[in-house]
Amino acid sequence: MAKIEPGMEAMLDMYFYETNSLLEQLDEILLRTETANAFESDDITEIFRIMHTIKGSSAMMGFDNLSVLAHKAEDMFFIIREKPDVITDVSFVYDLVFQVSDSYKAQIEAIQNNINGEYEKTDFEELVGKLLKARDQLAKEANGEAPDTAAGGNGSGSAAAPAGSGKVSVRVFFEEGCQMENLRAFLLINTIREECSFLEFSPADVETNAESSKEIVEHGFVITFSEKDDKNYILKLIESALNVQSYEIISDSETAASAPAAEAPKAELPPEPKADVKLEKPAEAPKPAPAPKPAPAPKPSNDKAVENAQAAVAVANANAAGGAQKQNLISVNLAKLDALHDIVGEIITTESMVISNPDLEGLELESFNKAARDLKKLTSELQDTVMSIRMVPLAGVFQKMNRIVRDMRKKLNKDVEFVMEGEDTEVDKSIVDSLQDPLMHLVRNCMDHGIEENVEDRLYAGKPEKGTLKLTAQNSSGEVVITVSDDGAGIDPDKIMDKARRMGLLVKPESEYSEKEIQNLILLPGFSTNEQVTEFSGRGVGMDVVKANIEKCNGTIIVDSKKGVGTNFIIKIPLTLAIIDGMEVTVGDLVFTVPISTIRESFKVETSQILRDTGGNEMIMIRGVCYPILRMHEKFGIETDVVNLEDGILLLVETDNKSVCIFADKLIGEQQVVVKPFPKYLSRYNIKGEGLSGCTIMGDGSISLIIDTNTLIG
Amino acid sequence: MTNDVIKEAVAKQQSGDRKLAADNSILGKVMTFNIGDQVYGIEIQYIIEIISIPHITKVPHVPNYIKGIINVRSKVVPIVDIRTRFGKPEIPYTSHTCIITLNFNDVTVGIIVDSVADVEDIHTGDISATPENKNVNTNEFIQYMIRGEGDNTKLILDVAKLLDEQEV
Repeated sequence: MAKIEPGMEAMLDMYFYETNSLLEQLDEILLRTETANAFESDDITEIFRIMHTIKGSSAMMGFDNLSVLAHKAEDMFFIIREKPDVITDVSFVYDLVFQVSDSYKAQIEAIQNNINGEYEKTDFEELVGKLLKARDQLAKEANGEAPDTAAGGNGSGSAAAPAGSGKVSVRVFFEEGCQMENLRAFLLINTIREECSFLEFSPADVETNAESSKEIVEHGFVITFSEKDDKNYILKLIESALNVQSYEIISDSETAASAPAAEAPKAELPPEPKADVKLEKPAEAPKPAPAPKPAPAPKPSNDKAVENAQAAVAVANANAAGGAQKQNLISVNLAKLDALHDIVGEIITTESMVISNPDLEGLELESFNKAARDLKKLTSELQDTVMSIRMVPLAGVFQKMNRIVRDMRKKLNKDVEFVMEGEDTEVDKSIVDSLQDPLMHLVRNCMDHGIEENVEDRLYAGKPEKGTLKLTAQNSSGEVVITVSDDGAGIDPDKIMDKARRMGLLVKPESEYSEKEIQNLILLPGFSTNEQVTEFSGRGVGMDVVKANIEKCNGTIIVDSKKGVGTNFIIKIPLTLAIIDGMEVTVGDLVFTVPISTIRESFKVETSQILRDTGGNEMIMIRGVCYPILRMHEKFGIETDVVNLEDGILLLVETDNKSVCIFADKLIGEQQVVVKPFPKYLSRYNIKGEGLSGCTIMGDGSISLIIDTNTLIG
Repeated sequence: MTNDVIKEAVAKQQSGDRKLAADNSILGKVMTFNIGDQVYGIEIQYIIEIISIPHITKVPHVPNYIKGIINVRSKVVPIVDIRTRFGKPEIPYTSHTCIITLNFNDVTVGIIVDSVADVEDIHTGDISATPENKNVNTNEFIQYMIRGEGDNTKLILDVAKLLDEQEV
């Protein structure tokens, strides 16, 4: 068991957020480039940067195993970055990096689930070993192919840049307001220490003296070093270190010496790596002139160098643009958004209390009314904005599915293409979170059971060799429709029927089941047709969990499959959980909200229409169909004067093909309401199982209870 | 206050050591309120606010001491009548009757009390443990007692038990 360093707890959340989003970014790049089967230089730089950032922040948080892992991956990509064509076995590199990404996620999860700051520390020795081996091999290939170019990393000294003994002084400035500059400086020192044969820095007491950060902010952090083998690598390390805003070279005793060094490779034929171009930087920007970040475009020494330099600048620019883009986003605790949402709701309630205040009745208030209208407009705009803040695109979840498909494709050895559509569709954050598990189950099921095992079967059925798994999302009238479809074997109704019979899941005569009903049998608990339990699916818990999860966010799922053609899972989910259209009814002094989507009709009755069965239960005949009557005041034990069916109102409600007429005192009207769950304290009582799904606060500040037709009938 | 702190305070008084027994340091503050003739108290760190009684919306299928839910600035808060909870007869609400909203581990509950009395310091020397008699109905919710002048003993409620009780 390892312990989280004291004092770091406060930063843990930030670390998790940052690292997780970086890892997601990494996965996205890998998945994108893997299809192209080649790394773009931008992508390599990006991966390198991600690994570097993770390394730095992990070291800062004291997770040394993670830091080492990222360091080794970074080393490997350093070589790849310098010479992209050294990769001979692309898939090997991908597997390795995916492994790194997965190990990271697992370890971070372990840390997140820590108890009292203790967590199981995973030893990545094996993976680190693999990375080391891969790196060495790559380095060898890089050297073998072009022995005179920089090998990078801990290259064996065949570097183009000669190991100089001169000392270089660099003044480093950190990003404004990044805080704890002294610790950042110390981390920076640790980062470059291995690469330096001599190292001195001022202020010297950064590790122990927090006051030194002030000096660093004002005067910068001065590092004097002499390199072991590659000065430019060190400069690059400094430049790309966490939170470093800029650095300038204040003295470089090697300036003179580096000029010939820059010329040296020119004489040789192999293409010059970027490092050589950068090497000229100190020569171009001599001592006193502070070198602005990034490197100023060096004067061309030959045509090749121009190209390389331009490429380097383009990458730098792209990175800068990416950086600026990222700063447009901020991460906010969801609880704060919920609070904001509550306040807006409150403002709207208060607004209507003010504007329709009884004290104002009968007064001529022309300018007041105008102001009131303006206020109303603004508050509704405010409400829309707050709602939109909570909306996030589905792309993140879809991307994760892409990853799952990739892994399963390899393991199951099925050739499947993954297609995404409408991943920009936005839904409420809480829905996105609850969608992840169901989608994962569905995608796994499609991969495992859907797509045919043998390519011959596919070809025989006239389908292309490569299977397709499609994930789409779209908005349609207040709902998000998500479909997971495959062009696999489809669902065999006979098999389903057979299985359902054996499991005793059938509730009516077999002949009465329609094809659709049969297909939807697979959503029942305990149903799994896969005879063998595999790593991915087939424990028979999947599909009913999917259904339950989707129903939790008021959604529905339908199976639509054709044997031999493929399977579609269609999920419909309301845009936000929070708002429903409701019909307000009173019973005694209580107000209930009945979701309009469940109401078929409302009507008055006469006593003569009422039937009674032998048990005295009341029923009513409407258009030849007999419905039971449920008296709300009896069901909920409310005192009311309206007990005669003729005096009140009946609402015919229906869900899941079950119908009932509910009897209430009076209809008030239609209203959009914000659904609130019952308070935590009441969760121990079985309110939700007895026909109520939540409550809502109405315009006048009073509370109305929301009817859950499903449990009311059941 | 944790039970350990209370045990320690009680132990100090019973230790016979005069110096320890005279320790009158302040351990915290309680807000006191009346139910009938009895003075109860709740440590103030659990208290959010005191409000007058608004319209309470009844909720079906709950025990009779849960009076319903109210809207406190767009938050839905359940209301427990302490009188009924402690098995005392209900009395009509007066202008003194009010709701104290409490929060413990993110569970928010409002309790109805006859009237709010005061906020006072808890001195180490005044703390007494509750008697080990489980037959007394209210005892399970009393964490400790504070001796006052004369017969004026205040019963300090165990908010954790009051809000977290596991009964279904």
